[in-house]
Amino acid sequence: MPSLSKLQTAVRDVSLGGDASALVADIIGDGFAPQQRLNIHRNNTTILLGEALAATYSVTHKLVGDDFFEAVARLFVRAQPPRSPCLFEYGEGFGDFLATLPAAADLPYLPDVARLEWMWNAAFHAADVTPLTSSDLAFVDADAYGDLIFSPHPSLRLISSAYPIKEIWDVNQDGADPNATVNLDEGPQALAVLRPKASVEMIELSPGGFVLAQSLMNGATLEDAFAAAQHNAPNFDPAPTLAVLISVGAFQSHTLRP
Amino acid sequence: MTNLAHTAHSLASPISASPLPLRAGIGLKAQHYQEIIDTAPNIGWLEVHSENYMCAGGPTQTWLSAMRERYPISLHGVGLSLGSAGPLDQTHLKRLVDLEHRVEPGHVSEHLSWSIADGVYLNDLIALPYTEEALEVFSTHVLEMQDALKRRVLIENPSSYLRYEHSVIPEPEFLLGVVDKSDCGVLLDVNNVFVSAMNHGFDAIAYLDQIPADLIGEIHLGGHSQVEFDDRVLRVDDHGSRVCDDVWALYERVIARCGPKPTLIEWDSNIPELSVLLDEAAKADGILNAYTEVSHAVAV
Repeated sequence: MPSLSKLQTAVRDVSLGGDASALVADIIGDGFAPQQRLNIHRNNTTILLGEALAATYSVTHKLVGDDFFEAVARLFVRAQPPRSPCLFEYGEGFGDFLATLPAAADLPYLPDVARLEWMWNAAFHAADVTPLTSSDLAFVDADAYGDLIFSPHPSLRLISSAYPIKEIWDVNQDGADPNATVNLDEGPQALAVLRPKASVEMIELSPGGFVLAQSLMNGATLEDAFAAAQHNAPNFDPAPTLAVLISVGAFQSHTLRP
Repeated sequence: MTNLAHTAHSLASPISASPLPLRAGIGLKAQHYQEIIDTAPNIGWLEVHSENYMCAGGPTQTWLSAMRERYPISLHGVGLSLGSAGPLDQTHLKRLVDLEHRVEPGHVSEHLSWSIADGVYLNDLIALPYTEEALEVFSTHVLEMQDALKRRVLIENPSSYLRYEHSVIPEPEFLLGVVDKSDCGVLLDVNNVFVSAMNHGFDAIAYLDQIPADLIGEIHLGGHSQVEFDDRVLRVDDHGSRVCDDVWALYERVIARCGPKPTLIEWDSNIPELSVLLDEAAKADGILNAYTEVSHAVAV
């Protein structure tokens, strides 16, 4: 008689696609092959987790179609099954996983679209925090601006892609013009994804703006973040981008370098 | 083990006055949020899957708060995996406690099954082997859950597709054994009893009759499907259709014996218009009302 622990490990392995031979002696057939009974559970895990991924990755799903998505989801579920029962947080690595699949190489923008969908999902479920506004900075001495350090809003995510992923995302939303097309030669795109209030927003950033936002998000002082952005994009004027980031609610609080 | 049912009945304290109305409720689905707010349908209560609302923030929580202002809520867990060998996931238990504090639900329930092995969540409710070891593991976890929540929880009988050679305790006795050891209540899923009875060839009525009325805190009704293998059929509890006639008949039998109980219409796949769920709930309310009137008549 197997211990509960051993039995559960064996069923888990079968549900994730493994061989059932070790379990056959423990399952009452009663008119069915034990494998047929175990298949109900394998299907539950595979299909329902695939549906959870399809819900989070609806644009990716649309881009590749049902058959391809189901096949990739099955591979992903078996390679990286959930570690938490909260399925809204399942599937973080799906974009990176797509990037490793030769079968998806014909759609080079696919991993970044999936990463963008994950960021949307993470922003949607992030903590509700009132963002910092420019009036919160009214009492900061102008001489001290360079010492400002911002704490990012909990929903804020940044992504930089070689492809126009926001356009791809837009034309694949429900209700979008079915004849709309995206010119992949539109080139690279960087985005801030955040949910300052009820709705998730995507803000397009210039190359310098992306470095600025990334530096601030990583805890750099404003002085260092401006320098990093201008080093990366010499003609970049960081002040307007900073004003946009503050006005959209990208930060939750500020401190001054001690 | 044969007299376990008797000891469970005599030792466990009966569930106190139901914290949910003795009416039909429906499972809350995101597709129906707006319509429920806009039309305020006359339903007794709503049930949600706890795990869907454990996010740090965002619109799903805002919706749940709006629902809680309008209806009693029951929290139905699918992820604590009380039947798993090894310790409960403490992070998950803490999230459940936090959610319970926010929602102040009428009931908190979980399943007589397991979903996690070696830290992997299979998103499935899998039957336990009904052994002394599993009874000890499961009951200890129910006690831990109740200690963390500081309240009694309801445990739902499973639908099952397989049984194990080394299972030695009949399922209703195992369930009542858990009640005996942990003083939890029972969430009686009539469809699950029917599905398992058909899949394993036991008598659904005998099973239902074995659960004492005063242990039953809530009833679930849902639809199931049939999967054919060669010339044989397995019933699969997919909550994707109307409650079948056989299950309605079993339900009426339970209510006739036990009196009215809060009754949930569950629908989790192929989710239809809200009106279909309300229609099923009205049908359950009709049966509940019939037996409410009978008991009033007797009281008068």
